Amino acid sequence: MKKNNIVQQYCFFAMAVIAILMASCKAEKVLPVNEAAKDISGSWQVVRATRNGTDLTSIIDFSQFRINFKDGSYTMVNKLPFLVNNDGKFSLDDPQYPFKITFTANGAAAVSTPFTYPVVNGKRQLSITFSPGCPNNSYVYVLQKVN
Amino acid sequence: MRSYLHIKGKGLWKFCAFIVLAIVLACCGEIITGVDQPATATIGSVVPITVHINIPTLGNGGPDYLIFGFLVPKGWKAAQNTTISYTSPLGNGIMTLIPDGTVAKNGGGLTWPAYMKKTFQNGGNLIDDVEWVAYQSDKAYPHSNGDAISGDLHIKIKVGADGNNTLVKLGYVITDSGNGFTSDSNGTYYSELITPCFEVTGGSGDLIDFCNPQLTTINPPKSLDNDFVTLTFDGTVTSTQLDKVSETYLCATAYTTDGKTISICEQTDKTKMVQTTSNSHKFQITIWPKSFFGITGTQTVTRMEYFITDKTGAIKVGYGNTLAPFTYTFKCS
Repeated sequence: MKKNNIVQQYCFFAMAVIAILMASCKAEKVLPVNEAAKDISGSWQVVRATRNGTDLTSIIDFSQFRINFKDGSYTMVNKLPFLVNNDGKFSLDDPQYPFKITFTANGAAAVSTPFTYPVVNGKRQLSITFSPGCPNNSYVYVLQKVN
Repeated sequence: MRSYLHIKGKGLWKFCAFIVLAIVLACCGEIITGVDQPATATIGSVVPITVHINIPTLGNGGPDYLIFGFLVPKGWKAAQNTTISYTSPLGNGIMTLIPDGTVAKNGGGLTWPAYMKKTFQNGGNLIDDVEWVAYQSDKAYPHSNGDAISGDLHIKIKVGADGNNTLVKLGYVITDSGNGFTSDSNGTYYSELITPCFEVTGGSGDLIDFCNPQLTTINPPKSLDNDFVTLTFDGTVTSTQLDKVSETYLCATAYTTDGKTISICEQTDKTKMVQTTSNSHKFQITIWPKSFFGITGTQTVTRMEYFITDKTGAIKVGYGNTLAPFTYTFKCS
């Protein structure tokens, strides 16, 4: 009876050791490096604006303008000349490496424009180029998320 | 004690100096020796222009293509409305448009039109709505020792594609594809010639005067009501009733596609013009016409008439310092 108990204890010990050994030598998997999808959700304001290369930032009041991106839709507050005149839907050409943003204003055709998404002073910026009036007049708005 | 420099044969020194000067002058660069162009033309007519050029050479080089730049109002769409041929002792041929995106020699990565714009700017035209159109010869030519090649460029341009009466300084530059707009110890490899004001008449549009300073200017020169439009009043152009005032205001009337007239003639922050620098007597305001005139989504402003006023609104200055308003048409061509 006592001997049986010792065998049981050995077995238990052996199983515990095997379990620990198996657990300790787990093969390491190399995780695929995935570029994070670019999330532009939030409220953005203009921090710099140019028209045909001329800086407009100090001569136009951009402080009240906001564009809010949320769940594939956008809304604008205190409108200014922009790629679109009305609220609607937006999409990026590639969620991980976007180069183009498409705005589809309600009841209007989709318009696309190239954009860049740099990090400046630790903050994400959205730089959008467009022509709201004559095609030869090119505007660049640099947007930054409102804190 | 005074010393005198005595040189035997003073004439010899003069002769040597003349030879050195002649070498410097005759060396290597393309030169525009003259341009034959009429002083006026009517809208839509084909204007013949002859550019006389001379290409002296010193060392052996090339072969290079002749590069030619033609400064014209953007509205004329010169690239589509111009043909250029050349005659020279080495043969005759045509000048062709340099394809978009061709990088200029020594242009720091710029295209030929951009390189011309950077180097020669607007050729003295006061409105930034002119363009350099760049051409090159269909055949290359060698720079052979001491040869001087003279020839003519024969331009035929249909003027005034935008329908606007125009006063403009047309400009011409030449260089070659091997040097660009550079100079070195051998000489200068380019030549620029800006002609006096050329007038186009008979059009139905506004007069666009690139030559004479205007009391007010609008930037961008071509814009719609959904652009930001900067209006500048230059009080230094001529003496007006606003000479002594320190604040000026915009008083404007918009005409819309649906036949409405909207007048904004108040002296408030909305219409206040800002002096560009203190005592410059140049005042500026940038407006977004859609918002400034408060038009609805379906309306479009087609044109506006405006005056510049003082703070009381009693003094009004209009076109050419008269009581007639300045006018501006919103359009892209």
